[in-house]
Amino acid sequence: MRTVKATTERENGGVWQRTGVKTVHWNKLSVILAMKWRTQFSKNFISMPLFSVGLTFVMTLFYGSMAKSNGKALDDSVRAMALSLGALMNTTMTGILCTGMALAEEKEKHTLRALMTSSVNGLEFFLGSTIPVAAMILAVNVLSVPAAGLRPSAAGWAMWLGLSALCAIAATVLGMIFGICCKSQVSASTMISVPILILVMIPVFGEFSGFMEKVSGFLFTGVLSEAAAALAEDTLRVDGFGIGVIGAEVLLAALVFILLYRKNGYERE
Amino acid sequence: MTKEYIRLDHISKKFGETMVLRDLNAVLHRGEILGFLGPSGAGKTTTIKILTGQLKPTSGDAFILGVHVEKIDETIYEQIGVVTDQSGIYERLTVYDNLKFFGRILCVPGERIDELLKRVGLYEHRKKPAGKLSKGQAQRLVLSRAILHRPRVLFLDEPTSGLDPSTALDIHRLLEELREAGMAIFLTTHNMEEAAKLCDHVALLNNGQIVEYGTPEELCLRYNQDKRYRVLLSDGSRLVLGQKAEDVGRLSRLLQEDKVNSLHSCEPTLESVFLTVTGRALG
Repeated sequence: MRTVKATTERENGGVWQRTGVKTVHWNKLSVILAMKWRTQFSKNFISMPLFSVGLTFVMTLFYGSMAKSNGKALDDSVRAMALSLGALMNTTMTGILCTGMALAEEKEKHTLRALMTSSVNGLEFFLGSTIPVAAMILAVNVLSVPAAGLRPSAAGWAMWLGLSALCAIAATVLGMIFGICCKSQVSASTMISVPILILVMIPVFGEFSGFMEKVSGFLFTGVLSEAAAALAEDTLRVDGFGIGVIGAEVLLAALVFILLYRKNGYERE
Repeated sequence: MTKEYIRLDHISKKFGETMVLRDLNAVLHRGEILGFLGPSGAGKTTTIKILTGQLKPTSGDAFILGVHVEKIDETIYEQIGVVTDQSGIYERLTVYDNLKFFGRILCVPGERIDELLKRVGLYEHRKKPAGKLSKGQAQRLVLSRAILHRPRVLFLDEPTSGLDPSTALDIHRLLEELREAGMAIFLTTHNMEEAAKLCDHVALLNNGQIVEYGTPEELCLRYNQDKRYRVLLSDGSRLVLGQKAEDVGRLSRLLQEDKVNSLHSCEPTLESVFLTVTGRALG
């Protein structure tokens, strides 16, 4: 059953040089989605979202015990720090690392070629690979909120969900970019660890440095980190600039992905 | 006239400055097996990649099921099956789930999976994770995946490489059945014995060029310049005779005296034809 038509694309020189309108077949997409969702729960991948939500919970307990020893109650801004760290780790590690490593694994084990020679097209594979990861990011970011002991308002929840979803898209597209560039899981994990560090550390150091704070405001992870703080104070509302930053990064990542994909397909010969 | 499923028309391919295929011409019809034979690096896999739309030729035209390879899209894979030299199976999934996964993509009913697993002898292993299969079992699974949707054309890249003789024989039998059923099979191999046994036509490939093309018998006879034959006599001794008058007379006498046990032609094998044509051995 044909459901969605996407734009015309041409893949030159690399693996799949085809011309014409790409069509998403629901039966193929659903099979890939199911497979990739299952992959999310394999031991190589589930550790990342579990670690992230666990980190939020443990950090909240740790800060709580510190506050208790000083005879104070745990402040919401401190809970926000725990939420921010967990959400950043989740968005980058699950979003970039899981997506990139999963694509690299498909190439390393030659299952990508088997899929592509079984009538799956590039768009179906892209959607099938990114949607489950984005769903996992969203679910973990939602779970992290009660794990940090926060109870936001409905408006706060809506904004948190919206921003998390946008960040999940940015992270998964980045993951696909790194996946295209890497031939094996080992090279993917090595290559991806550097941007993850940058994307996590800049918002974290933004707390201590004015310059870092400014830079952080132009990163999707920085916007998410600020959103966590606002969520804790229940002041999280529609932030046009933040949404613009994430939107621009999604567009930029999508553009880079399309350029790389058109040049070499998913796998360079 | 049989239906033409594959046509290579003056195909050439360059990677950078290196010419890997030069002016290839070949045709494969329905119900035939065409063998591309040559050593590693001869251009066999590149030819498959061009025919299956994974690579663009530098020049020339190639057609699969009547469609120019530059105009094919992913729907072509609903009519063709590809077995590469790398497995491409999901090791975490069971044997059955691997076929179910690809079967759902290709809209194949579940009964077909059971039927195929029984045919290739993997039914007892259907619940085993694919990563735990032996090399021979894994290759049978890969072959099953490629023929799951009953394709019209099957591409096989070194399908029996590194397999034990018994598994290779099973695969040969299956390929013969598929040919009988009308499937066109494009086989690359460096196993000349396999090619001579299975292929209707063979192309000997050396440095990206087809150096000989024909049926295995034609090629062997074409290079049978000595035209000699081996005679096994009833006393256990053997003679090699030619076609000179004295040799013919001698053989005639031996036959009349009932001293001949068996006669064997000394025509070259495909391997020796390859050696004669290219001056290099396979391997």
